[in-house]
Amino acid sequence: MRFIVRRLAFYLLAFWVSITLNFLLPRFMPGDPVTRMFAQAANKMQPHQIEQLRQLFGLDERPIWQQYLSYVQNIFTGQMGVSISRFPTPVSEVIGSQIGWTLLLGGTALVIAVVIGNLLGILAAWRRGGVLDSVFPPILVFVGSFPYFWLAMAALYLFGVVLGWFPIRHAFDAGMTPELSWTFLSSIATHLFLPALTIVLVSIGGWMLGMRNTMIATTAEDYILMAEAKGLTNNRIMFRYAARNAMLPSVTAFGMSFGFIVGGALLTEVVFAYPGVGYQLLAAVQGLDYPLMQGIFLTITAAVLVANFLVDIVYVRLDPRVRVS
Amino acid sequence: MPHSIRKSRSAVALTAVLAGAVLLAGCTGGGNAIDTSGDQLLTIPREDMGTFSRNFNPFTPNAAPMTQQAIYESMFVYNPADGGTTPWLATDWVASDDGLELTFTMRDGVLWSDGEPMLAGDVAYTFMLQKELLGGFDYLDSVEADGDQTVRFVLNRPYSPALYEIGQQIIVPQHIWEEIDDPAKDTNGTPVGTGPYTEVTSFQSQSFDLGKNPNYWQPDKQKIAGIRMLAFAGNDGANLAAVNGEVDWAYQFMPDIEKSFVAKDPEHRQFWFPSTGSMINWQLNTTKAPFDDVNVRKALSMAVDREQVTDIAMNGYTAPADCTGLSGAYTTWTDADTAASCDWTKHDVDAANALFDTAGYPLGADGTRTLPDGSPFTLDISVGSASSDWLSAATIISQNLAEVGITATVDSPDWPTVVASYEDGSFDTGIVWSNNAPTPYQFFRGVMSSETVKPVGEKTFENYHRFASPEADALLATFAASSDEAAQTEAVNGLQAEFDAEAPVIPLFAGPEWGMFTDTRFTGWPTASDPYATLSTKSPTTVLVLTSLEPVTK
Repeated sequence: MRFIVRRLAFYLLAFWVSITLNFLLPRFMPGDPVTRMFAQAANKMQPHQIEQLRQLFGLDERPIWQQYLSYVQNIFTGQMGVSISRFPTPVSEVIGSQIGWTLLLGGTALVIAVVIGNLLGILAAWRRGGVLDSVFPPILVFVGSFPYFWLAMAALYLFGVVLGWFPIRHAFDAGMTPELSWTFLSSIATHLFLPALTIVLVSIGGWMLGMRNTMIATTAEDYILMAEAKGLTNNRIMFRYAARNAMLPSVTAFGMSFGFIVGGALLTEVVFAYPGVGYQLLAAVQGLDYPLMQGIFLTITAAVLVANFLVDIVYVRLDPRVRVS
Repeated sequence: MPHSIRKSRSAVALTAVLAGAVLLAGCTGGGNAIDTSGDQLLTIPREDMGTFSRNFNPFTPNAAPMTQQAIYESMFVYNPADGGTTPWLATDWVASDDGLELTFTMRDGVLWSDGEPMLAGDVAYTFMLQKELLGGFDYLDSVEADGDQTVRFVLNRPYSPALYEIGQQIIVPQHIWEEIDDPAKDTNGTPVGTGPYTEVTSFQSQSFDLGKNPNYWQPDKQKIAGIRMLAFAGNDGANLAAVNGEVDWAYQFMPDIEKSFVAKDPEHRQFWFPSTGSMINWQLNTTKAPFDDVNVRKALSMAVDREQVTDIAMNGYTAPADCTGLSGAYTTWTDADTAASCDWTKHDVDAANALFDTAGYPLGADGTRTLPDGSPFTLDISVGSASSDWLSAATIISQNLAEVGITATVDSPDWPTVVASYEDGSFDTGIVWSNNAPTPYQFFRGVMSSETVKPVGEKTFENYHRFASPEADALLATFAASSDEAAQTEAVNGLQAEFDAEAPVIPLFAGPEWGMFTDTRFTGWPTASDPYATLSTKSPTTVLVLTSLEPVTK
């Protein structure tokens, strides 16, 4: 229990530091939202519109410490304000309408990559020097070192445009209404396939290698030898003795990655025109949309901290040594 | 943990099943037959919105696409491609002789999409609301409805460009908007307008459909069943959809369009990039020496190879500018005499060298030019890194300048940083857009008027190069005060001569207005030979296209 309380205190401090950074960093960038909008619109806006937009947005001109106080207050009351780049849609609505897709895409890709990557790692380490061990790591590392943008474009072009197996954009067909029906769900699945596949391809190598390396270290331990001497089955030793101990670093990494999912997958969203938070965040940063930026950063911060906290707790279950120290 | 292993095993099995199902669905879900049932939706990509928000509030800057084009309409539509004006919600308008009063006669029998009649009171209310929410229109003293069909605008000073600003203001229904508590923050999810396609029949975050206005005032022109907008987080996705023939009409930059788009189906696909966009200039900060010297500005201009700039940097999509400074949107205003006498906008290295020499910027023995005080002649060219086309234009200019012994460095941080340096006047030189409005008044005001000049350090949003000309001030005042066409033409001719004499900025090329279409599903598009509108999907002329297209039926 003391362990959990200590961790909680640490997380509160981390939370305060990150929300303060969320507040300060955007304000160090040059310009203000309206002049940025003007710069981006280039010749599409007239100079007199600048004053008009200032008036419309009602930009906060108070001293920065007052803005900070109300910012902190708003965080705890859950009011994230109105987005500027999507004026007048509230920030919570902008994020809320996108986060589901981000979680679906990121979650699916992460779970698949972790499960398959770890299984491959376990098997590769178990049969060291075997086909799996000598063929997969180089291939996966090779694929993983491709620039993601290029890989995604290539997959889109090959499977979407040339072969026509998969749709080339969006989360479901245009004109469909979300409902619990087979046609709609299969539309979602076909649209999800390529984006998720490309993310899995570039990330699976890391999971496999990580697992393989810890697994190799674990298999050299005395208790594995002991288990073998007792005559336990190969599978039992591999999964219950070696893999269970080798999995700890993977669990940590999984928790971290899970927290970062909510930041969105910007490149995937751009290439596959998939909805999500990533492009929203880019637009917010480019447009100096403070409220939206703060909202998204806050979501990311909260998600990372919560995921880490959960990992900490799971760790206590997985690894008894943590409880003792 | 044995549990986790068992779970992940079943997860693998599930994944495999799912992947199989997905593959099957993917095979059957394809098919790209062209819909020519007559009910096909006009499909248009929007390249700068990854997702849509259901916001049809026309007073907000990022309202859903088509809000200002298909849902709400203005009193008239000005077409920069042919310089013509089409009466729309108003049938007629007159200016009083002293230029202080504009009277619009509204069209009889126009209904809002909810069936209520559109009256002069709606116009007066719209201007009141626009001023309240956004300000502007400071030359307007009052807007009054005189009966149901007549609106009178009283100006506090003669200002001839007002006609176009007032005429192109979109009109909203009073009976709806006066009920809204906070019009600035209302998202207006179910809009009521006079436009041809007002009914939101489906709205998802990446696509939405607009259906016919049941009470449109030109029912014979509502030939297409509706509009479908698709969201894209960048040009690439939108271009891919266009190349694949999945959209009918697109408005975004596409490199090498002849080969990548037209060649796929030359019978049906076309593009048309009229140079009616804003004039793109190379601006020199005239508060800094040596750019305060008109000879330097002209010599620099002569060193620039505009053909190379337009051919290479702009993909040949536009033509070099001349010394009138006017873009293709003002062909009716261009003074043929000034245009024929242009010398400083023609690429001529020898003349540039000669002009630098006589102006006191000698070429040293090492081949580099020096300022009168003996220091080397160097300059920075600022341009936002996101604009790859303008960035290569700046690079070409810097190569051109090497030929006359000047070292130019291209400085390309992100746009906001560049614009911040433009605004406070700390920049050296830079590539920049200019004002673009129905008359050349705003353009010349933005490059030469002393009213728009702010001291260095103080922010300005036009005339970044801070050049003032008293002659131009007088001519601009004449133009604004006169509604007589001959007097206006004379003033604009004078402004062109002044631009030619002073070279306040170095004009490079007119920005092209993008636009491409395929006529496999819809016909009746504007083209270079029938320029009844541009191919823009975001400008006031868009409604002209929407009411001209016809579906292909077989």
